[in-house]
Amino acid sequence: MSKYFYIALTSIRSRLAYLGELGSKTIFLFVVLYIFLCLWKVTYAETNQSSLGGLSLKQMLWYLVVTESIIMSLPTIATLVDQDVRTGALAMQLVRPMSYPLNMLAQTSGERVLSFALNFLVGSIIALIFVGPLDFNLSGIAMFLLLIPLSFALDFTIYFLIGLAAFWLEDTTGLTLIYSRMTMILGGMLIPLELFPDGWQQILRVLPFSAIVYGPARVFVTGDLQVFLSVLIQQIVAILVFAFVIRIVYNLALRRVFSHGG
Amino acid sequence: MENAVSVSQLVKNFVLKKREGMRWTESEVKAVDGITLSIEKGQSVAFIGPNGAGKSTTIKMLTGILHPTSGEASVLGCVPWKERTRLAKRIGVVFGQRSQLWYHLPPRDTFELLSKIYEIKQDVFKSRRDMLIERFQLSEFLDTPVRKLSLGQRMRAEVACSLLHGPEVIFLDEPTIGLDVIARQELRDLISEWNRENGVTVFLTSHDAGDIQHVARRVIVINHGRVVLDDRVSRVRRQYLREKVLSVKYADTPESISLDGVKTLKESGHAFKFEVDTLAVPIEKVMSEIMRIGSVVDITIEDPPLEEVIAHIYSAPPTEFGDDAPDDEPDENESKSS
Repeated sequence: MSKYFYIALTSIRSRLAYLGELGSKTIFLFVVLYIFLCLWKVTYAETNQSSLGGLSLKQMLWYLVVTESIIMSLPTIATLVDQDVRTGALAMQLVRPMSYPLNMLAQTSGERVLSFALNFLVGSIIALIFVGPLDFNLSGIAMFLLLIPLSFALDFTIYFLIGLAAFWLEDTTGLTLIYSRMTMILGGMLIPLELFPDGWQQILRVLPFSAIVYGPARVFVTGDLQVFLSVLIQQIVAILVFAFVIRIVYNLALRRVFSHGG
Repeated sequence: MENAVSVSQLVKNFVLKKREGMRWTESEVKAVDGITLSIEKGQSVAFIGPNGAGKSTTIKMLTGILHPTSGEASVLGCVPWKERTRLAKRIGVVFGQRSQLWYHLPPRDTFELLSKIYEIKQDVFKSRRDMLIERFQLSEFLDTPVRKLSLGQRMRAEVACSLLHGPEVIFLDEPTIGLDVIARQELRDLISEWNRENGVTVFLTSHDAGDIQHVARRVIVINHGRVVLDDRVSRVRRQYLREKVLSVKYADTPESISLDGVKTLKESGHAFKFEVDTLAVPIEKVMSEIMRIGSVVDITIEDPPLEEVIAHIYSAPPTEFGDDAPDDEPDENESKSS
């Protein structure tokens, strides 16, 4: 197992070599948080509420910091797998004594953890300036730290499957686009699930999207044990299901490996 | 001697989809069509053939990446596609067109990572790494990010990478592609040195006749997915290179040469270039004739480049060379040149 841990470390080291794009992400994060701060301010004022969906304005902005950091830290998992398949670079991975899916998981997770940490750091500074510190509780943070890796792992399994689709499809960017938008909208990136209509909420809470975005963010700002437990179960079940599907699809795919590139 | 690689009746078919108008039609393409061969441990073999002949497909089956349609293969006692991970620890693979080095990191980091992936003991890893650094002269760019290396440096590091875990067989798929003359020569020397001194079995594909000549002792030519020739490199040269080129410089104008099998290619002043068909006339006879007709100042005898031989074999229809054809031909033009 230690080899995969080392792959993750190497990927972090490699990611550190080109941090330049982080600057542009920081500006983007600043703009997004500022716009939504203004929007939510108006919404809270217009509705005359101090709490919407159980969150105060301050919590709402911190919620956004977490969800934006999760979404923005996404590595290009599906694209990497798609390219490995399409260009035949997969061959180079298959001649090593390791599992390709686990290697990919380690590699992209290393990248994502680093990227998330940096985005979160920048987002926190911006939130501190705009609305001040959140009333943290330690158990909330502990629960959050447990959900985050599972959220990344679950997100990975879905993107990896989309990447594997390259064995059958001409192009997987469409699927990636659809899935990423669904994660953003149905996962509650901008609006917490509580503010969706009741009927929707029932469905969204079962779908995997909310376990990736909404769950960790909600637990971070409220430290709600009930939400934590249900998101945890949701994550574990979804990961097991998708890992099983990957197993089947990957084995099917390996039989379709073509000799790309001669 | 024990075989490192043995392959029997290996076949790989691909389904090719073609679109005609709105309809997709499927046809089967035989990429590898019944290859049988065996390679002894420690041998260096060049596996050559024109583009699309089935070289890479064969390598991919032997390294366990591809499942064959039918046939058997054993590499170091493993069935590659069934025991891929186990075999991976004992073989090294270099694809000239793909990189295993991390692009943004120096080669040293990739070495470190590979030592974990291959689960090499730290002391073994360090001593082997240091030896590779010295032999492949990697020290000057060991700590430079790969993206800043020249292709020659990168390929040296690539090959060193694939030797790090001490493989018993190394598959090199066009390792010298894109390299300049010197880098190419260096890499060839390193590979053949490693083959001689460490006894690693080398399985090389290349389009470069020089690679074959300098690295391999044996050449297997495949075309249309079949083995069309399998022989020692030196013998192939002799058999298919019956022509020799003689450049002769005379002190003054010589008499004209008239021998069957000798053609004058070029003539300028007192310098001549003859092409000799050594099957039609023994080289000895030609030499004495050349000496007889004038006073010789300088003479060189050359083989036509191996490239010509390869081109000749490639262009032949699949039936001209049987699997056993080369061995049956008489060895009468055994000459002692070059």
